[in-house]
Amino acid sequence: MTATTKIRRNGSNRQNALLKFWQKNKQEILPPIAGILGFLVVWQLISMVGLIKLPPPSSLWTDERTRTLLLYPFYDRGGLDKGLFWQTLASLGRVAQGYSLAALVGISVGILVGTQPLINKALDPLFQFLRMVAPLAWVPIALVALQQNQPAAIFVIFITAVWPILINTTEGVKQIPQDYINVQQVLQLSNKKFFFKILIPSALPYIFTGLRIAIGLAWLAIIAAEIVMSGIVGIGFFIWDAYQQNYISEIILAVVYIGAVGLLLDRAIAYLQKVIAPGE
Amino acid sequence: MGVFVAADSIDKVFPLSGGGEYIALQGIDLEIKKGEFVSLIGHSGCGKSTLLNMIAGLDLPTEGIVTLEGQKVKKPGPDKMVIFQNYSLLPWLTVYQNIALAVDEVMGDYPAKERKEIIEQHIDLVGLRHAVDKYPKQLSGGMKQRVAIARALSIRPKLLLLDEPFGALDALTRGNLQEQLMRICEQYKITSVMVTHDVDEAVLLSDRIVMLTNGPGSNIGGILEVDIPRPRQRMEVVNHPSYYSLRSEIIYFLNQQKRIKKLRAKKTEAISRHGLEKVNLEIGFVPLTACAPLIIAQERGFFQKHGLDEVNLVRESSWRGIVDGIAGGYLDGAQMPAGMPTWLTAGGHQETPLPIVTALTMTRNGNGITLGQYFYEQGVHTVNELRRTLLESREKRHIFGMVHPSSMHNILLRYWLAAGGIDPDKDVHLETIPPAQMVADLKAGTIDGYCVGEPWNIRAATEGVGFTVATDLEIWQGHPGKVLGVREDWANTYPNSHIALVKAILEGCQYCADPANHEDVRQLLASRQYLSTDPEYIQLGDPKNYTCNVEKPVEYAHHMFFGEGMNRPSRTEHLWMMTQMARWGHIPFPRNWVEILERVCRVSVFSTAARELGMIDIKYRREPIKLFDGIAFDAEDPVNYLNELAIKQNFTMAEVHLDGVKNPMPIAA
Repeated sequence: MTATTKIRRNGSNRQNALLKFWQKNKQEILPPIAGILGFLVVWQLISMVGLIKLPPPSSLWTDERTRTLLLYPFYDRGGLDKGLFWQTLASLGRVAQGYSLAALVGISVGILVGTQPLINKALDPLFQFLRMVAPLAWVPIALVALQQNQPAAIFVIFITAVWPILINTTEGVKQIPQDYINVQQVLQLSNKKFFFKILIPSALPYIFTGLRIAIGLAWLAIIAAEIVMSGIVGIGFFIWDAYQQNYISEIILAVVYIGAVGLLLDRAIAYLQKVIAPGE
Repeated sequence: MGVFVAADSIDKVFPLSGGGEYIALQGIDLEIKKGEFVSLIGHSGCGKSTLLNMIAGLDLPTEGIVTLEGQKVKKPGPDKMVIFQNYSLLPWLTVYQNIALAVDEVMGDYPAKERKEIIEQHIDLVGLRHAVDKYPKQLSGGMKQRVAIARALSIRPKLLLLDEPFGALDALTRGNLQEQLMRICEQYKITSVMVTHDVDEAVLLSDRIVMLTNGPGSNIGGILEVDIPRPRQRMEVVNHPSYYSLRSEIIYFLNQQKRIKKLRAKKTEAISRHGLEKVNLEIGFVPLTACAPLIIAQERGFFQKHGLDEVNLVRESSWRGIVDGIAGGYLDGAQMPAGMPTWLTAGGHQETPLPIVTALTMTRNGNGITLGQYFYEQGVHTVNELRRTLLESREKRHIFGMVHPSSMHNILLRYWLAAGGIDPDKDVHLETIPPAQMVADLKAGTIDGYCVGEPWNIRAATEGVGFTVATDLEIWQGHPGKVLGVREDWANTYPNSHIALVKAILEGCQYCADPANHEDVRQLLASRQYLSTDPEYIQLGDPKNYTCNVEKPVEYAHHMFFGEGMNRPSRTEHLWMMTQMARWGHIPFPRNWVEILERVCRVSVFSTAARELGMIDIKYRREPIKLFDGIAFDAEDPVNYLNELAIKQNFTMAEVHLDGVKNPMPIAA
């Protein structure tokens, strides 16, 4: 250990920087790695002794079908037989459509409701009622109403994601500080100026909170929706399909994908918020 | 100049969530002239911000109207720009953009280039050139408020409204900003209304200070004109003679409001016990050596002895507090300057006669006239030498302090000056200053001398800021100093309590007069609760030890608390004081002076009290009043006496109607 340190010390600056980074952050990096490794080891052990029927994590590699999926995410043999990348992308595409629609409707209705107390009074109970309906409950309704899988899936995403956006936007608009309202009143700002210079910037943090909650919900919803809607490309149906055929390790792999994508989506919105609406 | 902004009998009522309503403001009438700077001051929750919002149009009055240049204010607008306490900048806009938002909106018809110039000019005005592209969160509180000021001024408002603009800033920043604001307001002749709770800020910035009473139903309790010339400097205004009197006036007002609030909450009912109609008494006093009998009666149990179980001594810092307490009915009785009972009865207070009776003279003597040390250095030892010096320096305004128009200090000081050929109204200027502030004012050079009770003459002498030029011995040996005064209606409602009160205090007087008790009295008086001073300054006994100037020992006339002819109220003395107060125009001389004296001096109560205490030998002193100038006072013909005095104001005579005047006695009743 001392020897390597010495060598590194004499080495290039870049190595030095890396070492410094490691020295500084190892407290942050080591525990999660140890945690994950420990979890996997325990899982492996209890699977091997047969305590649970679930295949061990090593089956991702040892199971041949799964290894193929792991190594070749981009393959496409037509039909439903596609690599996990394409499966995920298809799901993401649906999320993008449903979520965009939800953002559009949620923000605009939210502003309307937030600025018009009467409309708020009229609609608020309805919103509170509808938002309590679970995404899966919407699936049969959507299928009956829209007759096709694709629009129904998008609708389910929309209806799941719209509530947090709408409610947060409403709240954001209602919570515009009296100070800013006073500025508007004293200066007699035009509606357009008020909207762009005061209302939107002031409500933006609330809107983003809604958007962030909604993206997580949308991603949760699509998996659930796809499981029910047979015969489409998508990571949800992929899991269902694998389950039907008893390819359990494939499910495990897909779950890893879902978790990773969900995490990335959340980070992406957070980043967007940081760029568009930096905190006060 | 005409009225620019007017509030006309404004009421503001807020509905309460419980269904009732809260009257925040009631009957506000205010007129503001163009270019004037007006402050609204009052306790939190008195509705000053509400009033400001109504002038701004952000809120509308429930009753009455606000007008700006004759137009009714119906909604807010840029002509009535507001500077808010929390700056109200938009955090997502830079300094420049914040100002531009206002300028572009309000001056939309100006060419873009001109607008840009206006923005730039105002950024320079508040010295924020270096921060022009910064966001509010990058600025300190003071800088933010400067942006808000720049934004407000950039749109050239007709009226600038400031809601506690510097409330959230540290003292240093506040001072700088106040000066900047003052400069800008003077330069552009902006009409401004400012809400503040900072007394010094109000005095510094304002032309007029509007004092609001406490809610519910707040109204204007008083308006002070600030006569300090502009341009003002923050460090220099404090030296202006008006500064401290304005300041103490406001502080007095605010304290009074606080007390009224407390009293409203308390609501005392009369407690009858031991055959007395009321044993829970609130007795007012001003911390002076002369308050000793009251304090002794309290501390040595004379009040209890005579059945007054629940006496509370209320410390007032000035005589005005006593007047307000008696007039407002929340003091049952009070230590009063000797002239106050007749002064109140003859309508000296707000030109409304308030019948007062006195049945006890508590002290005599104990006063002195102190002049600034520099007079001494110029060789002034008598009033004639003072006159000579004053004539030599006519260009300077000479200010003398006294404590209340009806106090013996005022009467004696004026008499002394007039006897020396100095007209107390023309040749010098007399100002009412609380006793405890005299020495500080003399030290600061804002007054040239004063007449006040002890310990403040001894104190000036020991501190070397002044010297005693005359004491009672040289003006009127044995003059009445302080008396016990109660309202006539109170005395009639609680006759037995009145006698008990007189008995207790008379015993206090007796205690104070005994040299064996002097050390005890001194220690008690000096304690924090009462005078809060060094016992060194409180002298009661033999005067020979105390000298007040370097070369010539001055014999002080010490308080006389008790003795033959000392305590019994004397009609002759009260008559003489009435002539003096009429002489200087404080009151009209009452045509029915005989009736007034009959009613003010309640000798019967004193006699009963003295008899019950077994002090039957206390007699009435029938000597004529003799002052140092030898002019005799004829108690049979006071009007002739008045007419013969050389220096006087044009006094008036009037019939004073005592009955039928309604003076509510809301709490003590």
